[in-house]
This record gives sequence, C-alpha cells and structure tokens, in this order.
Amino acid sequence: MANQTTQRSWFALGLGAGVVAVFCLTAVVVAWALASPRHDPVGGWLSGIGRGWSAVAGWYGGDPVAADPNWQAMALQVQGGAAARGQIVFATYGCGACHVIPGVSGARGTVGPSLAGFANRAYVGGVLGNMPGNLTRWLINPPLFSPDTAMPDLGVGQADAADMAAYLYTLGRDG
Amino acid sequence: MTPETSLGQFDVQTALTRAGIGSDLTLTLTLAMAVAGAAIFVIVMGLAWWAWRHEVTPRAWWVWSGGVVFPVATLAVLLIGSTITLAAIGRVDRVAVVIEVTGHQYWWDVIYDPDDRALRDANEVVLPQGVPVTFRLKSDDVIHSWWIPSIAGKMDMIPGRVNEITVTATRTGRFRGQCAEFCGLSHPLMAFEVVVVPPQDFAAFLDALKGEARDADTLQLERGRDVFVTAGCPACHVIRGMVRGGRLGPDLTRVGGRASLGAGMWKMNVGNLAGWIADVQDMKPGAQMPSFNTLSGPDLRALAHYLDSLK
Repeated sequence: MANQTTQRSWFALGLGAGVVAVFCLTAVVVAWALASPRHDPVGGWLSGIGRGWSAVAGWYGGDPVAADPNWQAMALQVQGGAAARGQIVFATYGCGACHVIPGVSGARGTVGPSLAGFANRAYVGGVLGNMPGNLTRWLINPPLFSPDTAMPDLGVGQADAADMAAYLYTLGRDG
Repeated sequence: MTPETSLGQFDVQTALTRAGIGSDLTLTLTLAMAVAGAAIFVIVMGLAWWAWRHEVTPRAWWVWSGGVVFPVATLAVLLIGSTITLAAIGRVDRVAVVIEVTGHQYWWDVIYDPDDRALRDANEVVLPQGVPVTFRLKSDDVIHSWWIPSIAGKMDMIPGRVNEITVTATRTGRFRGQCAEFCGLSHPLMAFEVVVVPPQDFAAFLDALKGEARDADTLQLERGRDVFVTAGCPACHVIRGMVRGGRLGPDLTRVGGRASLGAGMWKMNVGNLAGWIADVQDMKPGAQMPSFNTLSGPDLRALAHYLDSLK
C-alpha cells in the first residue's frame, strides 16, 4: 500500500515537472524569437551539425591524391568579388523585380531572363562573352553594351558589381 | 550583418514595442495577462500535486473560493483593465492633426490637413512625434483596415463610411503598417510605411509637400517625362507641376522620395521601378495597373530613371 502511494506521488511529481518544463521551454523559445525575430533559433544549430558532419565525412572520404585543377572554375574567379556579400547586394538594387535569382529571397521576376545556371551561359545580355571582367562591366552599365536593352543603369559601383558577379558564378547548371 | 530583404527600409513589423500610446497600453495589458496567467497556471498545478500527495477531505469553502470567488474576481479585474485600455485607445481627439487616408485595392491615398491645405501623397505617412494625430479613414472599393502595430490599434476602412482613430507616436523612426482586413488577391502586398519625425520636421515636410515635382534636367530624364505622358500614365497618375492626371493610382509627385515601392513592399530604386512598370501584374497580382511591357527598352529605362528622380 505504501509502495503504491510512493509510486503515485512519483508519477504526479513527474507529470507536474513535465508540464512546468513544457511551459518554461515554450516561454524560452518565445522569448528567444521575440528578442531577435530575424534570428532563427533552430536553423543555425542544425546547419552547424551539418557542417561538422561534412568535415568528418571529408576527412575519411577525401581523395589522398590531388586532383587536376578545376580550370573552368578558375576561369570564373572574379577579382575582389565576395559571393556571400553579392548574394545580399542583389536586394539593394531591386534585381529580383526582373530576374529569377536562386538563393536571393523574393527574386522571382520574369521581365528578364532567369539567372539560374548562370556560370554555364555563353553570353552576358546576348552581347558580351560570359567572363568575369565582361560581367562586372555589364552590371555597372548595361546600356553601354546593348543600347536597346530594357535593363537600366542601376548605379552599381565596381565593388558591388564584382560581388554580384562572384555570386552569379556560383550558380551552375547543377544548382 | 542583418540580411537585406526585399522589403522597404523599415524594421520588423511588431506590436510588442512601445512606439505609441496605443501600443504601449495594449502591450502592458498583454504582459499583465501573460504574467497573471502563468502565475495561476503554476498555482493550480501546485495545488493539484499537493492534492494528489495528501489525503484531502472535500471542503465546501474550497469549492466556493476556488471555483466561484477567485474566477469572478480575476475576470472582473481583467474586464476593468481591458475596458479602461479600450476607452483610452478608442478616444478620438478633436483638436488633433488630421490625416485622411483612403484605401484602394492595393494602395493608400493620403491627404494631410484635408480641411485646409489638402496636401496629397501616397503609401507613406509622416507623423509628428508626441502629437495626437486623427486618421480619417475611408475606402474606395472594399473593406480595408489601417494598422500600424508598433504605434496603435487597428481601425477598419468601410466603403461609404468615415471611421476615425487618434494615435500618438512617442518614438521617432520608421515603422511598417499593413492592411489588416482581407481585401483581395494582393491583400498581403498592401503595406505602407510610417515615418515618425520631430514636430518641427513634420511642419517642414508639409511645406515641402506643397510644392511641385522636381523638373527633368538631363536628356534621359526629359525622355522619361515624355514617355510618362505618351504611354498614358496620366490617365491614372498625377505629377504636380508636370501633368494633370487621374486619381485612380497613387500621386507620383515625390515617388522617388519614398523609401518603398508598391505600397510598402519593395525598396525604391531604378531596378524595382523598371521591373514594376514592365510587369506589375507579376509583382502585385490583381492590381489595377496594367503591365507596360509595350515600352521599348530605352523608354522603360528612361521612365524608371525619371520616376526615381522625383524626390
């Protein structure tokens, strides 16, 4: 009889603690979300695990013999261009109003061509060969190279153009 | 670094901040309710645990106090608190600055001082800090709702009626407002921006708004101005000092000076303007404006640059 009472009280204690824990956890998550609405409390943690895993997998699965240099990738290196920054810069100039740009939020425009797979494209704007210097110059002043184009001169500076070009060259046919 | 979004310049849209008297009162009420609710939850759970552990003989006074007296008292406090809050938020101030806003699918027509100077603008509202402002709210088509979450409560705009709400912004800054009543296909894309400035800046803003549009001073801007007329834009849009037009669309006298395009949705710049003119139905499905992809490339560019220059 005494044993049964102890069991019941332990069960009640656990139930109560569980309810309070759920309540506290909810409060913490809500407080977290409110404190910084732009901060994703879960995504960053998950991507950290993902990065750790790929590092471990790379260590054991990597090819010990150095492969040939990837000449195609090297040809698309943009001088002074930072792809991560470029990805953010697109929003500043409203590029997404006319172009689909994978990885840029809200860039779903259909006025101009989609920029998916841009690294594999032969020509920029149909007039310049697709290589880093040409792409940067085109981004700075499209009408200079194609007088009838609908793409305006957006007031892009050299640094921003290089960053955007670097990002566009991360968009290969394979995604 | 905070990521740039496709939205305008404002901060996150939130009601959990005290940038106005209305939002201050509602936030206080919300927090009081949350804390009291949490306390009651913990006490009830504690009592349940205690009752489980001990042999309890039922007593009538427990039932009466916990089941009748306590809930009635709690709800009475809540009723008094929310009634006082509602009365304070809903009071319309007769001597306040008046701004008339008319909702359209899917944009806002704004008239400052409608009974005297009638200064027109659109999709952006400038408010003086610390001064009560009465919004006179109308609708031209369907029911919309005017809501600036960080500053005050919401008020519906009903066709054929004039609703009023007095708000007082207490903090300077940029805030996002949103249509809060489903009004059609692009209802979620019907936002606006609120800029709270010191009272003397507000007076200066109104003086500047009185003027006419900036003139075109380069060949490209002149071409854009001509395209604006020949493409038929004045059928719906006015640019004061340049062309008299219709009132079906927003006044464009200072369109380039606003922080955002498409009723608070996209950053104001040449790129978004060009995309908007060429394919507005893609950016804002169901808007009254047609997509102008009939313009040649150079005409489209010139028009986008011209509109951007109107500050």
